Amino acid sequence: MTIPADLKYTKDHEWVRIEGDTATFGITDHAQEALGDIVFVELPEIGRTIDAGEAYAVVESVKAVSDVYAPVGGEITEVNNELESEPELVNTDSYGAGWIAKVRIGAGQVELLNDDEYTTFLEE
Amino acid sequence: MTELLKTPLFDEHVALNGKIVPFAGYEMPVQYANGALREYRFVREGGAGLFDISHMGQVRVSGPDALAFLQYVTTNDVSKLAAGQVHYSALLNESGTFIDDITTYKINDTAYYLCINAANRHKDVAHLQQQAAAFDVCVADESDATTLLALQGSAAQTALQPLVDSNLEPIGYYKFAQVHINGTPAIVSRTGYTGEDGFEIYIPNAIAVDVWKLLLTNGAQPIGLAARDMLRTEMGYALYGHEISDAVTPVEAKLMWITKLDKGNFIGRAAVAERKNAGPQKRLIALKLTGRGIPREHYPVFADGALSGEITSGMHSPIAGGVALAYVKPEHADSGALSVEIRGRQIPAERTTLPFVRSNVRR
Repeated sequence: MTIPADLKYTKDHEWVRIEGDTATFGITDHAQEALGDIVFVELPEIGRTIDAGEAYAVVESVKAVSDVYAPVGGEITEVNNELESEPELVNTDSYGAGWIAKVRIGAGQVELLNDDEYTTFLEE
Repeated sequence: MTELLKTPLFDEHVALNGKIVPFAGYEMPVQYANGALREYRFVREGGAGLFDISHMGQVRVSGPDALAFLQYVTTNDVSKLAAGQVHYSALLNESGTFIDDITTYKINDTAYYLCINAANRHKDVAHLQQQAAAFDVCVADESDATTLLALQGSAAQTALQPLVDSNLEPIGYYKFAQVHINGTPAIVSRTGYTGEDGFEIYIPNAIAVDVWKLLLTNGAQPIGLAARDMLRTEMGYALYGHEISDAVTPVEAKLMWITKLDKGNFIGRAAVAERKNAGPQKRLIALKLTGRGIPREHYPVFADGALSGEITSGMHSPIAGGVALAYVKPEHADSGALSVEIRGRQIPAERTTLPFVRSNVRR
């Protein structure tokens, strides 16, 4: 189970990388492992404004459909189109090539944990 | 809540990192360490996939009236079965709807063996024993003493042959042999639920762990429920609680091929004949999404923009894409533009034929 130190995490098992006014979203290694083989990702539309905590994407594994929630609010500026043909990237590289969307950071954020806090949260 | 049951292979599943879920009253592995997709591919692409399906039930029917009894309680024509042959069949109630779908094995003129669904076992056995009162037969529920393994994929015979005291090669599709495995009597049939060549293996619980381990040693890999459901859905095989239930008759479920109205009287015959004449209340179709998405159970199906029915089984097929079985209104079975509603959006779909992917069963 990897939990990079340079990311923030939510209790819904999403990660966010904040660089200036841009945030990149994905799901954690723990989340992908719990979901199993991911076979479909429904990406948001570019330009859509989302609130912190809003379901902005859907990942589907062989047996389950799961919403993915935004760690911070903002406007979707970019989506990972690679996931349309290779949804398994979310399994194989959840913090890298398996990123889901980027937003221009707007108002609001859910409770964000650092790597140590997320580790502790998972242990609980 | 009743406590979940365990099959004799439960500890093996845990040792293999099986992800255990409740299923039909049992704690069963939904997948092992490799994950459902790799398991699925192993079966489709030349392996020998090993499934613990011991949750399923087995009933032995024996006695002078065994044939007459089974002709009366099952839909298929048991008089056409030769010893050593298996057929797909069903138990109906008087309304013509399904109590269960089953397979019937003919051992000899006075002894038959039924394989039934786990979730329906107690209902089936009670029904069979009640009906048996009018016949000179014995109905014995052997489920708790029996382990059932499925070994599926083109390498199945190679993995199984070394364990068995007779040649498997002559066993044809939907045929079986009474063999010995490690000196213990067993039934081996060339049947399955995957669309691949392979066997179902009925053994006493006492040798379950040994046989499981020997098959793994011979190159088989364990396959969980998730991959099993992918494999069966790609074939369009019906699953009780999905395509068939006590709300539909064989007319709706496209199972008239196992319902022999001309064989003489049987439970549900009159109701099915009536439904056949009146026409089905809904029709089972196979569809394939032409837009992106995964069709899943209970998603609404629209025809020409109007709600027509819903999906009973759906999946992302690595070979065929988004495919599903669905019940629609009879008038939409053959015509009309189809779509599936996924999270509020209409995703276009088209009718297709079964199986969704090529079957490799031995013919």
